Amino acid sequence: MGSVLEFKKISKYFPGVKALDEISFKAYGGEVLAFLGENGAGKSTLLKVLNGDYQPTNGEYWLDGELKHFASPHEAIEEGISIIYQERQILLELSVAENIYLGRMPANRFGVIDIRKANRMAAEIIKDFGLPISPSTKVKDLSIAYQQMVEIMKAYSRENLKVICFDEPTASLSDAEIESLFKVIRKLKSQGKIIIYVSHRMAEIQQIADKVAIFKDGRYVDTVVTGEVSEEAMIKMMVGRDLGDIFADLERNDKIGDVLLEVKGVSSDYVKDNSFVLHRGEILGFSGLVGAGRTELMRAIIGADKARSGEVILEGRRIVNRSPKEAMDNGIVLVPEDRKLQGILSNLSVAGNINIALMDKNANGLGVISTRKEAEEADKGIRDFRIKTPSPDKKIVELSGGNQQKCIVARGIATDPKVLILDEPTKGIDVGAKSEFYQMICQFAKQGLGVILISSEMPEVIGLSDRILVMRALRIVGEVAREDATEDRLLSLGMMGDE
Amino acid sequence: MENKKEKGGFRLIGGDKLILFTAIIIVFALFTFLNKNFLTWTNMVNLLIAASLVGLVAVGHTYLIIAGQNDLSPGSLAAFCGTLAALLLSWGVPMPIAVLAVLMAGVVAGLFNAWMVNKIKLEAFIATLVTQNVVRGFAYIICDGKPISISNKAYLAIGKLRILTLPLSVWLMLIAFIVFGFILARTKFGRSVYAIGGSKEAARLAGLNPQRIITMSFIIIGVLTAVGGIVFSSRMNSGQPAANVNLEFDAITAVILGGVSFAGGVGDMFGTVLGVILIQAFNTGLIMVNVSTFWQYVARGALLLFALTSDFIRKQRREKELLEAAMKNIK
Repeated sequence: MGSVLEFKKISKYFPGVKALDEISFKAYGGEVLAFLGENGAGKSTLLKVLNGDYQPTNGEYWLDGELKHFASPHEAIEEGISIIYQERQILLELSVAENIYLGRMPANRFGVIDIRKANRMAAEIIKDFGLPISPSTKVKDLSIAYQQMVEIMKAYSRENLKVICFDEPTASLSDAEIESLFKVIRKLKSQGKIIIYVSHRMAEIQQIADKVAIFKDGRYVDTVVTGEVSEEAMIKMMVGRDLGDIFADLERNDKIGDVLLEVKGVSSDYVKDNSFVLHRGEILGFSGLVGAGRTELMRAIIGADKARSGEVILEGRRIVNRSPKEAMDNGIVLVPEDRKLQGILSNLSVAGNINIALMDKNANGLGVISTRKEAEEADKGIRDFRIKTPSPDKKIVELSGGNQQKCIVARGIATDPKVLILDEPTKGIDVGAKSEFYQMICQFAKQGLGVILISSEMPEVIGLSDRILVMRALRIVGEVAREDATEDRLLSLGMMGDE
Repeated sequence: MENKKEKGGFRLIGGDKLILFTAIIIVFALFTFLNKNFLTWTNMVNLLIAASLVGLVAVGHTYLIIAGQNDLSPGSLAAFCGTLAALLLSWGVPMPIAVLAVLMAGVVAGLFNAWMVNKIKLEAFIATLVTQNVVRGFAYIICDGKPISISNKAYLAIGKLRILTLPLSVWLMLIAFIVFGFILARTKFGRSVYAIGGSKEAARLAGLNPQRIITMSFIIIGVLTAVGGIVFSSRMNSGQPAANVNLEFDAITAVILGGVSFAGGVGDMFGTVLGVILIQAFNTGLIMVNVSTFWQYVARGALLLFALTSDFIRKQRREKELLEAAMKNIK
């Protein structure tokens, strides 16, 4: 009883990202503490620091007055700290008992495993949890929910278990399964364990958590007692400011022109038969769940994936994009979703990244690049997009995420495109830089570009787009006008298709 | 100070060459101490002649490894090219046509390697291992396993010709260093090689054609290897199907010693020049101080291990610098 876990000024840096910034707070035994924050706020990173998966750049953590330092998750588990992840970490071919006692099966004095004893011990735990499963069942024959239970039992079976963390545990559970998970969590709570519960679902947090620790952009904001503070107030703390205000202040383009891009029945190996139109000066939002096919549709349009059928018509002329290069030459550029692997050219400088698509323009007939022209283009990009870099010759990986993203946008805009496709442009970028991007996007529209905006952040799509298309299961399933767009509407379209 | 030094990833001379210079001085001093004939004009010219084949191949490896690829076939290919030249000449084929045919063989080998990497999506290491064996096999097949002597005067002149006291082979190596160094540092193609070494997909989405760049790089190393094979066979007065084993080993060691990272995307041609000098001085020196052939193998392995270790340390240091820069830049 009365365990205390204390974080003292924990910081974690990655190149270009300050993932955790001097996090300090305490968690107490016998309480369920929820972590609340946007994607990239630092919740998962903090868990990984706690269980030894990451080493903190600075700072320390104490458990029951003892300074702890785990070199690996294995060490953390030995010391009584377990994390239950979204993805199951169990061995499907082994039995329930074998999974629970993996690596520490009871054995006789000759070292031969005593499977009967293991089954007996496992049966005790299963009874504690009140589950209708047998210790000798193979885990692969259990439902997802029970597989998760096996993981929890594995943590529970350690006598020194002090801290148990759940990272989005209900993502793939039904309501009834969630209820039985909560039962188990309450049981662990009554035994005085420290319970950390990471979730995006507000309703669940209200139901199970005693307190809520709020994170924002890698910083710890505050801990509030559930029920004492309204949901709206919590969201405001986690977003930091009212996003509504940012969008209300944007100078939007009010002169949408004629049809610029027409996509007719485009299919690839990853999307099926999609059609839409984009107008000059329009911001067209794409909403939908992850995996709905939004990125894949754009990749088919620009020729990054092979299009199987369909037509792309730009300014009334049919174009064929067999590669991103051809799309670029035709006037369509993509700013990809995965900045690290698909966006930046990690070995090149800021100048090299901005200029990569301009090499034809910057080079003479022999292919020799003009250093002067490159420097001019780089300076222009850095100025126009307010890229914060000590020098154009700095390696791009040394910049912050937001500034890296600006380089990639600058690269695309430098090719003088007609259509700009932005795939999750503000992912992992702090709120200040986000509002800069929003102004930039509106500016592009004012200049007459057609902008396609894929975003999983509802306020962003709703706040920026003139029209929103919703994709579900590889197809466009609906269109919502700006005036009618609400989060509920988009979500239900994205999850169920037609309302 | 840091900012002044940084010049992006594409420069003719750059990076941390101090350690390399020091290593060269130590190796030269050591062997001169052990054998006073080491640091003589004649021996230095001989060293350059011996280096020329490795140097030509190392130029190709510089491109490939920066692009995130590799090639284990040059040793076999050089032997095949020399043997093929000897065979054609023995049939009475005129020298220019024989040379052209051998260069074409280099192109074909490059295309085959590129095809395996681009289309069958094999790792370059494994793909070129295939070529290494197949081409070595063909080298034996075309000559029935026996070396073919060369009597064509024009062809033999290639190995004997001296311009400004240096043999043609040395000039060829120097020209390759300069021309391909310039292309790597200053042209569209060179820039593309650096770009795909980081992430092929990012480069493709940025409008480059990674498959074409990889194909070009394999053709470059194929042709340079063929040139090396011609020069070597001319110097030997014969086509030797069993020759040039471990040529790629020396070339790759030189390139990594010179600061090109196995992780791709980092390095420059000047480093390769220094790497080639270092490895050749090392190899020649070992012979001159009468180290047995068997121990030479061990020593070369040790040198490659040293090169790889320093590559690893450099990589760790780069990552640490990045992290520090990141901490400074994010407020």
